[in-house]
Amino acid sequence: MSPAGGAPASATARPASPRWRQRHLLDVDSLDWDDLRQLMAVADDFATATRDPASKLDVLRGVNVTILFYEASTRTRVSFEVAAKKLGADVVSVTASGSSVTKGESLIDTVRTLAATGTRMLVMRHATSGAPYLVPGIFGGNVINGGDGWHAHPTQALLDLYTLRQVLPALDAGAADGWSLRGRKVAIVGDLLHSRVARSNVWTLTAAGADLWVCAPGPLLRGFEAWAAAGAAGRRFTATTDVDAALRDADVVMTLRIQKERMAGGLLPSLAEYAATYGITRERLAAASPEVLVMHPGPMNEGVEIAPDVADGPGSLITSQVHNGVAVRMAVLSLLHAAEAGAEGPG
Amino acid sequence: MTLDLDLSRVWLVDPDRHREGPADVVVRHGVIRAVRWLRGADASGVHDGGVVVAPAFVDLHAHLREPGNDAAETVATGLAAAAHGGFGLVCAMPNTEPAIDDAGALARLEAAVAAAAARASSGGEGHGLPAVRAWGAVTVDRAGDHLAPMAELAAAGIAGFSEDGAPVRSATVFRNALAYAGALGLPIVDHPEDLGLTEGAEAGEGLVATVLGLKGWPAAGEVSAVARDLAILEDVAADVPGARLHLTHLSVAGSFRLVREAKARGLPVTCDVTPHHLALSDEWVAGARRWAWDALDPEGRRLDPWGRPREAGPYDTSTRVNPPLRSPEDAAACRAAVRDGTADAIATDHAPHGTVAKSVEYGLAPNGISGIETALGVVLAAVAAGQLTLARAIEALTAGPRRVLAGPAGRPSGVADGRLALGTPASLVVFDRSATWTVSPATLRSKGKNSPLLGRSLAGRVLLTTSNGLVTYRDEALTP
Repeated sequence: MSPAGGAPASATARPASPRWRQRHLLDVDSLDWDDLRQLMAVADDFATATRDPASKLDVLRGVNVTILFYEASTRTRVSFEVAAKKLGADVVSVTASGSSVTKGESLIDTVRTLAATGTRMLVMRHATSGAPYLVPGIFGGNVINGGDGWHAHPTQALLDLYTLRQVLPALDAGAADGWSLRGRKVAIVGDLLHSRVARSNVWTLTAAGADLWVCAPGPLLRGFEAWAAAGAAGRRFTATTDVDAALRDADVVMTLRIQKERMAGGLLPSLAEYAATYGITRERLAAASPEVLVMHPGPMNEGVEIAPDVADGPGSLITSQVHNGVAVRMAVLSLLHAAEAGAEGPG
Repeated sequence: MTLDLDLSRVWLVDPDRHREGPADVVVRHGVIRAVRWLRGADASGVHDGGVVVAPAFVDLHAHLREPGNDAAETVATGLAAAAHGGFGLVCAMPNTEPAIDDAGALARLEAAVAAAAARASSGGEGHGLPAVRAWGAVTVDRAGDHLAPMAELAAAGIAGFSEDGAPVRSATVFRNALAYAGALGLPIVDHPEDLGLTEGAEAGEGLVATVLGLKGWPAAGEVSAVARDLAILEDVAADVPGARLHLTHLSVAGSFRLVREAKARGLPVTCDVTPHHLALSDEWVAGARRWAWDALDPEGRRLDPWGRPREAGPYDTSTRVNPPLRSPEDAAACRAAVRDGTADAIATDHAPHGTVAKSVEYGLAPNGISGIETALGVVLAAVAAGQLTLARAIEALTAGPRRVLAGPAGRPSGVADGRLALGTPASLVVFDRSATWTVSPATLRSKGKNSPLLGRSLAGRVLLTTSNGLVTYRDEALTP
């Protein structure tokens, strides 16, 4: 029996984590299917335990969690803050504009300062790919990547997977390893090139067995053709510029934000042309599965990458994604903390 | 005590005479007195996997950082590092602060070299440092606008001209520089990069950069610059017989195709590759630490970098270099170019940086690998893997770069001539292919500890380096 069946009481105690070993969550490339299933099961526990909005646990009582964001963010920062507070942690939020970062302090010096003031868990958002990898070498606590450059957004991919698990029944219900995305077609459509959400979802969705398609206009797909063809870690997927092929019979469509500044580098002619050729509209979705689910990591440009009636339509999971972020981030914080305690414990 | 050596029953590689084999070499008072090739019983048991003697190496491309960045390197530490790497002659790049763009700046560099050599010789009579030649900037302040005083620099002994760190941006300035330097008999050394294609680039475009979310430096950014340079060279060389071009640190297959074709048509072009581009690949950015030839399947296609545990973490800034580490297929093209002579030389692009400068986010880290001490070990790893012959590898570190410096006119390549000629001051390297050393901050003489090879054991330990009859490096294990 997985921990998913555990009573709320099992979550208030330190979650049993016989298998989880990672002390940091920097990327999702090293998480296998068992890791992902364990994490989602723990998230279930927390979702149950915090059904009462006033509920507060003591899993991280006395633990200082610092949320260090070098880039603007609303939903991720707030979601981490709420998750840490619900676990009983002491939470400090630092944004680049309100710290000595603006005086030119290096990332390493900033982290050393935070460590010296008692931070045990650091959630970090940074505009440079790979920035969180600098931290474990100089910081004894746990590091959680809250999004780095174009590289990874691990908790977003985890909450996306968790959200799909809530609503999509397994096609192969009798499979020995339980729920998966085997037999499900998932299409990610939008600005792949600049998207850390897409990169992390490539790892988690392929780990879950999905038939993954990624789709964008040529300049925004660069590199993903080679990745799809090579299939890193043996995980195959399909990259295409043909949006109709990507959407055909899709069970899930995940759209990505198109940023206005992309037009400057000649990557796209205009937002209007993108909306006309790649925007996810009712008409275009007609080719997908009749029960197609629609996701977006936010923030949305409604009318560009996604039509308003699709974003608010019957298959939209966008609100669930935000809601589930809290339980998933609680699971991440508690598992990493438990791995830390295990590493420091006697024997 | 002057330098006296009796190197008996060693494997001697003489690239100038295309000969290698068991030999005795005798040096008296710093001068080569005898070279005896051995046969029969005298030669028995001597093989190319033990102690090897060759002319001291020549590096066409090293950054000594002085003046302007003493935290990264000084002339003294850079030359000590060069000697540790087996080099007897170092060609210093002019992108210092200020740049080497007039005779006064060159004189200051030469004074710094003389002062460092004087300090080295105070360590004992017969001790010294590798010789130095300098490239001068193509334009004043390397700003790309006005030609540097090339005739003045030529008269003062400059080796040629380079904007390295960057290309000569303007095609017109590049064309004029080729013509002006050509009349002086000196080469332009270009760093081929189409800046319009590489703005903000962090890693070689391809699978690894995509997965790691690093902005790609496309192969076309180099190939299109090589094509521009060759088109302009052809145009200039038709009228200026002395015009010549050296392309440095070529890294992608397409560049070698163009140079191979240009050489076949008789254009006066030479090129070099670095040890890291022929032996490392982009998967090192993801944390892999296997040699580039081990990252290919039998058909020559790259293996999955994520298909096995990686030895290190990703985003190690010691792997950030310009041009970037490329695919294993491109590294194979670099080795093929060395094998068939398309690449004339192996040059280190020794680019030391201070630890503080490299201890930042990957995308903010300065480009460069501290490579002059590991060059031999890396190249010998390629030899051991059957990727290069020992003779060709040594030639690309000695006679090849000397020919680039000398040009078709055959002018002296520098104070350290380097040939194994009787009666000349000895510029030799002695290394042991059966002995290893471990690359570490403590074993690197360079101030730049920015090497992705830290922690690695390399075969081919240098026992002795001499330059112009002076000892520049001696392994402590070696009895004098």
